[in-house]
Amino acid sequence: MNALSPTPTKKYDLSFARWVYRNVDGGDRLALCMQCGTCSGSCPIGAQMDFGPRKLFMMIRAGMKEEVLSSNSMAACVSCYNCVVRCPRKVPVKYILQSLFTVAVREGYAQSVDSDNARFARAFWWSAAKFGRTDERLVTARFYFSYGLSAGFKKSMANLAIAKGMVKAKRMHLGLPHTCKNAGELRKILAKAAEIEARHAT
Amino acid sequence: MTERKTGIYLCSGCGIGDAVDVPALEGVAKKEFKLDSKSHACLCGDEGVAMIKADLEAGVNQVAIAACSARVMSDRFGFEPVQVLRADLREKVIWSHPANHEDTQALAEDAVRMVLTQAPKVKAPEPSVEGEWSSRILVMGGGVTGLAAAAQSAALGHDVLLLEQSDRLGGRALDASKRLPHTPPYAKPEANDIEALVAAVTGNAKIAVRLGCTVTQTSGMPGRFVVNLSDGSVETVGAIVVATGWRPYDATKLGHLGYGASPDVVTGIELEGMLKAGAVKRKSNGAPVKSVAFVQCAGSRDPDHLPYCSSICCATSLKQALELIEADPDTNAYVVYEEMRTPGVMEELYRSAQAAGVIFMKGKVKGVGADLTITVADELIGEEIPLAGLDLVVLATGMVPNSTTPNAPAPAEGADQLAGDVDPEVPFPVAGYCGGTAPAVHAKREQAIPDGGSLLNLQYRQGPHLPVLHDGFADSHYICFPYETRRTGIYTAGPVRRPMDWAEAAEDASGAVLKAVQAVRSASAGAALHPRVGDLSYPKVSLNQCTKCKRCTVECPFGAIDEDEQTYPIVNSTRCRRCGTCMGACPVRAISFDNYSVDMLSSMIKAVKIPDEFSGKPRILIMACENDAVPALDMAGIKRNQWSAHVRILPVRCLGSVSLLCISDALSAGYDGVMMMGCKPGDDYQCHFVKGSAMAAERLSKVGETLKSMMLEPERVTQAEASIADADRLPKVIDAFVEQITAIGFNPFKGF
Repeated sequence: MNALSPTPTKKYDLSFARWVYRNVDGGDRLALCMQCGTCSGSCPIGAQMDFGPRKLFMMIRAGMKEEVLSSNSMAACVSCYNCVVRCPRKVPVKYILQSLFTVAVREGYAQSVDSDNARFARAFWWSAAKFGRTDERLVTARFYFSYGLSAGFKKSMANLAIAKGMVKAKRMHLGLPHTCKNAGELRKILAKAAEIEARHAT
Repeated sequence: MTERKTGIYLCSGCGIGDAVDVPALEGVAKKEFKLDSKSHACLCGDEGVAMIKADLEAGVNQVAIAACSARVMSDRFGFEPVQVLRADLREKVIWSHPANHEDTQALAEDAVRMVLTQAPKVKAPEPSVEGEWSSRILVMGGGVTGLAAAAQSAALGHDVLLLEQSDRLGGRALDASKRLPHTPPYAKPEANDIEALVAAVTGNAKIAVRLGCTVTQTSGMPGRFVVNLSDGSVETVGAIVVATGWRPYDATKLGHLGYGASPDVVTGIELEGMLKAGAVKRKSNGAPVKSVAFVQCAGSRDPDHLPYCSSICCATSLKQALELIEADPDTNAYVVYEEMRTPGVMEELYRSAQAAGVIFMKGKVKGVGADLTITVADELIGEEIPLAGLDLVVLATGMVPNSTTPNAPAPAEGADQLAGDVDPEVPFPVAGYCGGTAPAVHAKREQAIPDGGSLLNLQYRQGPHLPVLHDGFADSHYICFPYETRRTGIYTAGPVRRPMDWAEAAEDASGAVLKAVQAVRSASAGAALHPRVGDLSYPKVSLNQCTKCKRCTVECPFGAIDEDEQTYPIVNSTRCRRCGTCMGACPVRAISFDNYSVDMLSSMIKAVKIPDEFSGKPRILIMACENDAVPALDMAGIKRNQWSAHVRILPVRCLGSVSLLCISDALSAGYDGVMMMGCKPGDDYQCHFVKGSAMAAERLSKVGETLKSMMLEPERVTQAEASIADADRLPKVIDAFVEQITAIGFNPFKGF
């Protein structure tokens, strides 16, 4: 999962499929896809995807790495699990999309890097890693302002009423962010995890 | 000959007595035929059967029963060797017409008239059993099918003569590395076990093996075929199993798929040999094969090549891909397919290949370059995808049946007969397409017909070949009698019959062997093979009437009738299937069976009482084929479907046996219309005698002019297609015809 996927020297790289089979979560089941299209037919937002899961999988087989990883399909997935439940070959479609999404973000494909999902995930992770807890105000603010100063200001203003309501209902607190106990230990755990990941990547 | 004494029995059971006046039927026999009859409330019960048996003891030597359809209770009413005639009062009378109606009564009375008219015209058939009969079975071909056929024939107690053209037994299986899965769970290629089969055959004392031997000439008939062999010997055998197998489609015709452009474009058969030999290397430079693409349907399901699906190429490519991946797990294997066809359990192999990481691409191959780049028009992506960097391209070529001997010259005479019945004008389907998307039909249909010499070089009037269909496979009634060929006693098995794999071929051999055994046994008993199994009658030609017109020898669907030096017909009785097409063809009624003749049919037609035109009731004759039309009508009766009581149904052996004389007799007797009801003719025929209903249609096409010259409307005579499942449709067909005839008006010949 950590190794970089092969960078194609041509549009169709036949080794890409093998790499996905071996390196992507659930990729071994992807080999069993029989292209019935139940996943794409079941997808509630298939119309908004560049390619539905069925076509995306066939493009993987054809070695079309660039088109696959630069598409919005993975980021658009809302994790409804219809595809996973319905796949007659038990291909974990959602997990594969999720895993491909991670690959695309890591390798810097703009559609994925700049997606709402990726921005929110980065804000969430920042808070979780820093405090050991998520802080609604900081996660939201970081998420909104990742779109730039004026866009962040606009988004914040648009949601001001909701924020006020949450404060009134004590669903959001004012003051310093909560932290977990022994935040230093958490940082050690995360450093170790990063070290293991780096080891696997080589 | 002893005097004929016919016992007449009427049954009033099953509601017959409630729906028609049975004493009145007895009155018909008494008044019109001066014959006494007996009736019983349950004729098929022990008491009724005992009554008939007592009469047989007392000297009755022919039985006429008016009860249920002849297709039921044949065990209760079987009094071999006494001839039993049946009239149907139940399915086709009371179950399909309103009870206690004068028209239903008239129908029942006519049924009695017909059977009582039939009785004096027929006798119990005397079989033709003279001469010596051989029970030896000739198996042609020493491959999987032939070996299995030989082993199974021997196991059934028959001596076997096994011919193999090459100098070794085992056939193409010897060159295969592994075989397709044939034992559960059917997921992996299995070991090639042909050696065991060869050993079982060579070690069997009942099997005589001749290697390097072919048939040069075959004459005779089932039970006594005389076969001349290429080693100069002459053998007599009872039946022949043709297991000549297949040849690969000629890959040199596949230039558009890159064959010949590079040594690394090979056929599946060539790859099989490479796998058998050991590690697969590129032919061009000996480098290992790391990336391979299989191109499916190479020259198959293609209107310019083989129109059909060879059924095993998909599974074979899967097997080869699995073998390559097993040898080197890093091998990239691609299968480019249009439709993956994995019949039966081969689906499991497909799953195994998927799990092993074989990549399947659905689409058409647009071209293969000399650098082995395959351009695939991928249907699932909607783009043309170049597959580059391949080490090997494998073309999965199809099977061509060895319906002829490859690399042998075609016989000087009769070459056109090989596909003589294939109509070159009729479009034929390319396998797997229905309707709009089908490719354009073959420009040159003969491409599908294999070339080469005659397998058996039959010394038949109709030529040396086993007739083939448009795709080159032996013509047979595929659904009902798959092993049959158009030459009785000669059975095809294995890929020469239809494309199939190793395990299927071995099973197929069993089927053909059982047919061959049946042929041998039936021949010595003088009995017919299917569909008239056990029929002891055979066509007898009255030579002093014969005009030597040769219609019978030409029209026989099975080539049963030869000609002598003076061109008189000679019937080879065991080749005959008893359809009566010769009888229907003969313009001078010179051909008849002991229990079936033009005279019998005409007399039965004329036995029906024709109401005059003032009654307002038409009479319509339906000559219905006993194979499908009559059972379908019986089923219509069982379902209580109703149809017009103005029709009279006369069962015939096959529409081919209907002489035009019967039709003209019917019209001059005052029938208002005649319908021939039988199986579908044509290239996709369902006729149980292959050509019978087609012959009837051809004869009928010429009857229009005659009718016009008689000042009769040609629409009065028609042919209707019936299949066994038509119980609901046929009554409507009949009623529509009755309506049409009523609209035309009465036959002006009525009453003359």
